[in-house]
Amino acid sequence: MEHQRCYIYSPLESEVRPSKRQRTNIVQPQNLLAERLQTFREAWSHQEKQIQTTLENADRTTQEKILDFIKVAAQPDPEDSTTIPTGLIIAGPSIASYGPYFERLGRRIKDGTDCAYLVLSSSESPNLKTLLKNLVQKATSRAAEDDDDELLPPGASSRNGPKLLNFDLGHLQGWQKRNRAQSIVIAIQDSEAFDSNVLVEMIDLFHSWLDRLPFVLLFGIATSAESFEDRLSGNSLRYLKGQKFDVTQSDEIIEKLFSATIASAHVSLRIGPNFSRRILDRQKDHVQNVQDFLDSLKYAYMAHFYANCTSIFLKDGISFTHSSPDAFEAVRNLPSFRRWVEDKLDSLETQEIRKLLDSDRYLFDKISQQLRSSQQVLSAINIAVAFLSNVRESLQITPSVPLSSLWIRAASGEMVESPLLRETMLSIKKIPSNKFLHLLSSLRNVQEDHFSLELDTYRTELEELVKNSTDSAPLRSQHDVRNDSLRTTVVAQKVLLSKHKAALSEQDKAYSELVGRFHDEIQDYFNTTFVDPQELFLSEILIYDPKLPHIEVFQPKPRFAIERALSTPHDYLGCNCCGSSGRDGEAALSATQPATALLYQLYLESGSLINVSDLWSAFNAIGGDEDSESKTMALFQRALAELKYLGLVKPSRKKVDHVAKMMWKGL
Amino acid sequence: MLPDEILDQLSREFPCRELQIQQLSALYSLSLPSAPLLVAHGLTATGKTSIIRSYLALSGIPYAIINSRECITGRHLLERTVSSCLDALDEDEGGPIDRRPYARTENINALLVHLQRMLEGSGKFVLVFDGIDKQREIPPTLLPALARFGELIPNLSIILITTLALPYALHKPGVPHLHFSPYPRSSLLEILSLDPPKIFLEPPSLEQYPDYTLDAAAEDDAWLWNRFLGTVWDSLSKHAGRDLISFRNTSMRLWREFVRPIVEGQFGTRDFARLMVNRRHLFQGEDAILDRIISAPSQASLTQNGVLPTTPGKTVMKRKTIQHDLPYYSTHLLIAAYLASYNPSRTDTTYFMKHTDKRKNKRKVHTTHGVTKSKHRRIPRHLLTPSPFTLDRLLAIFRSLLEGPVPQVADLYTQIATLTSLRLLVRVGGVGSADPLDAGARWRVNFGWEWVRGLGRGVGIEVGEYLVGGVDG
Repeated sequence: MEHQRCYIYSPLESEVRPSKRQRTNIVQPQNLLAERLQTFREAWSHQEKQIQTTLENADRTTQEKILDFIKVAAQPDPEDSTTIPTGLIIAGPSIASYGPYFERLGRRIKDGTDCAYLVLSSSESPNLKTLLKNLVQKATSRAAEDDDDELLPPGASSRNGPKLLNFDLGHLQGWQKRNRAQSIVIAIQDSEAFDSNVLVEMIDLFHSWLDRLPFVLLFGIATSAESFEDRLSGNSLRYLKGQKFDVTQSDEIIEKLFSATIASAHVSLRIGPNFSRRILDRQKDHVQNVQDFLDSLKYAYMAHFYANCTSIFLKDGISFTHSSPDAFEAVRNLPSFRRWVEDKLDSLETQEIRKLLDSDRYLFDKISQQLRSSQQVLSAINIAVAFLSNVRESLQITPSVPLSSLWIRAASGEMVESPLLRETMLSIKKIPSNKFLHLLSSLRNVQEDHFSLELDTYRTELEELVKNSTDSAPLRSQHDVRNDSLRTTVVAQKVLLSKHKAALSEQDKAYSELVGRFHDEIQDYFNTTFVDPQELFLSEILIYDPKLPHIEVFQPKPRFAIERALSTPHDYLGCNCCGSSGRDGEAALSATQPATALLYQLYLESGSLINVSDLWSAFNAIGGDEDSESKTMALFQRALAELKYLGLVKPSRKKVDHVAKMMWKGL
Repeated sequence: MLPDEILDQLSREFPCRELQIQQLSALYSLSLPSAPLLVAHGLTATGKTSIIRSYLALSGIPYAIINSRECITGRHLLERTVSSCLDALDEDEGGPIDRRPYARTENINALLVHLQRMLEGSGKFVLVFDGIDKQREIPPTLLPALARFGELIPNLSIILITTLALPYALHKPGVPHLHFSPYPRSSLLEILSLDPPKIFLEPPSLEQYPDYTLDAAAEDDAWLWNRFLGTVWDSLSKHAGRDLISFRNTSMRLWREFVRPIVEGQFGTRDFARLMVNRRHLFQGEDAILDRIISAPSQASLTQNGVLPTTPGKTVMKRKTIQHDLPYYSTHLLIAAYLASYNPSRTDTTYFMKHTDKRKNKRKVHTTHGVTKSKHRRIPRHLLTPSPFTLDRLLAIFRSLLEGPVPQVADLYTQIATLTSLRLLVRVGGVGSADPLDAGARWRVNFGWEWVRGLGRGVGIEVGEYLVGGVDG
């Protein structure tokens, strides 16, 4: 074949096909996947509905203000026809949530008014021409054309005379003539990312067209209105006139979403405390972004229903025939199941255990029964948290702790002993009657079926007491500090302080008794409700708590991964040759490591300017082969090129034979 | 309309511009030959465009006006010129012209050919280029070529409206110029007093004050407005915003505040001197001459509760660069970026190295003062422009500012990208590469000392202690 330059490769046809090496008859880990997917969809659609209503409620007030502003702007004002009505929407630094926000706003504007709504973002508007092209295209919903061709095809144009260029606002004028929109609302989504010049020119142009096109501008601003004004020229400021709108801060929205999704009483799948803490911390430290929060939550749901085959039991109305034996086997291996069985063993219920282990049918009944009761316990916890947060809010206890952190404490089972709860209970003891009334009325909203307190009886009793009291001052309980007084006595030149309880009036006594009863009952309620959810039977099915999938998906560590791969290649390669040296933490250099990793470790030891010749001799000393220096040289050069490709070194201008170190480890 | 009637009407509409209007009517009339080219120049708000537009509309000469503000490119200007000429001729001759030959106007030659074909055999036509000196992406030959159009098309005259005179750009001598001079004080007062705003938005009820008729009210308005205008001009607009529009805006902004005591019944309508003394603080601040998007409601609310500040309330405007709270690490990133911008990199080891002993790396503020008060004064660093830094330096300072270890998660890079799109960090180097986090790229901060100090105090870092040279005040 050597005489041929090219040839057609024809492999030998073998008669027998190689046998497949797949294991076909073994258990499929993904069984009942379709059902689980369906369960996921049901669970998530419920959550999504909650999320949508929460979000819409959260920015309703602001959006309605904007809507009113647009409605007013649509009526032409004869005195003030020389300025473009402008809304400055201060939307906070989470620019990733701008897109959905402006989308919701647009939907509302389109529904509520007779205006056209167009969104422009910085990425599609690098200069004025492209901006206008996009604008015209979005308004007239023309199919995208080639950017180079500024005119319509010549065949069409020569018949009809001059055509407008595709960035001419004349298109918009024609469209406006046909559609008669009340006003054209243009939303500049991320005004900071726009070039100032583009903004200034755009405003100038829109102003010049204002007599023909009724523009209304909306600017999304992350920083503040003042810094936005600073970026525009004085002339453009003269063309604009409008109002400022503050959007709800994202941490408030997150708090609302948290109580609507994770801490809500009616969800089928709960999220564990570790996971919740992780995503809340991430919100606080890094992103502040509603979208990310929702994505994390959705991913948690997906992960649970995909990876956990016992999650099938969360399906509504599941029957025994629908579940597979594998699921039961999995349930029997759950830690909480084992704990449960051992408890039963201690109480010598061996018959029961035998049945649980042998009969799937029996186990199924138990599972569905237990799941229901565990769900109820979990819901009760969530309600109790809402109750507690309500109590704290109406008593105005400082520091105010957000519901999310209360919830996390409760979900990790730390609530009963916590100082937070004790503090709250103490303030309940001291409560004066006017605040008590307020508290009782505010608690009515939380009251649900799980709640056993007879708030109304307390209320009537309290009202009775207040009515009987002659004094206008509120009634005070015996624990109130105002009923304590300090008495100083001087005995033998020593001052003695003694606490003294003031004598209580009849009413105050009765009131104290009432408050004491209330306090004891609440105390009981909290003590019985706040159990550790992790210890519930089947908590693995009901609660999703692992953090790792979340970290891997939402918080990757690209730089760390590269640095680790290069400095301790054994972690990734898992080979025998260089594994032993890396045991004591510090990876030793050895010739068996890949050349790039070797060179990188030498690189780490050097200063900011590296002499390549020194680097070579060090490399040669470790990884060198006496007989074939050229081979080592080739390895060295390739390794250096790879480091350069990774952006770690750069040729230095200071010294010819040196390279500059660009990146340090651990940053 | 007869030429004299036109002159009369225009003079009524545009007072103090008699000279310019007369010159226009001399140069452009239906019967007499016109100059092929005229440059009308003058500063902003001197009535160039409006007077020329009104004159041409009244005179009956077919004309087209092309506004350069609306033309994005030079090509766009040419296309618009052709189509507006066609529109104007359509209107003038009553019948639609066959537009097929004028489909494309790629360059100045095509424009010339089109205009020649269009105007062949028709009467005089005036083409006005408004603000041609502000045209974007203008081809360099456009102005000289336009100047010579009149030589090739005898019945076309062109008017160029510019801010400044064009003595050299046209490469043609002997071009007539028409100067619209800025209005002097007397003219400004005369123009603005034509339309005085009302003192009382709702006229006082006739039952209560039967003598105060509408006529009397109008007289009072004019009297007070005139005096008020003079004061505004002498105290504010003489020094800043001398043109008609700025002057009018300033006056309108102050007017309602100014007459508030009259409306509230504190002073009479002709009590100008006492009113002036009472409201003098209005003329002492600069708020009225600044254009703002959001009309300042602060003043209205200040005086709402009856307390009239007699001195110019030194309301130090709280200038926040960002209104909402930033995430914890973003704040630290910004502080680190500020320090990286304003500290020279050779001092990093002294300021940010983690020593083995627990001494803090801070330095005492003001220690250098008094000791090394050398002859040449140093400008404090925070008053200079920020110098660029590399990303790794920013991250290194960021880590040394924080107490505990921070995981090397991608969220940090996301935050840097976010801060860049908020223009708080600006990328200066490595523009060529598409990778925003390229190691070779250099960065700069885009905010000031005041703000970063507040930011640092919010998270418990006194930024001044880490800044080389310290900061006074």
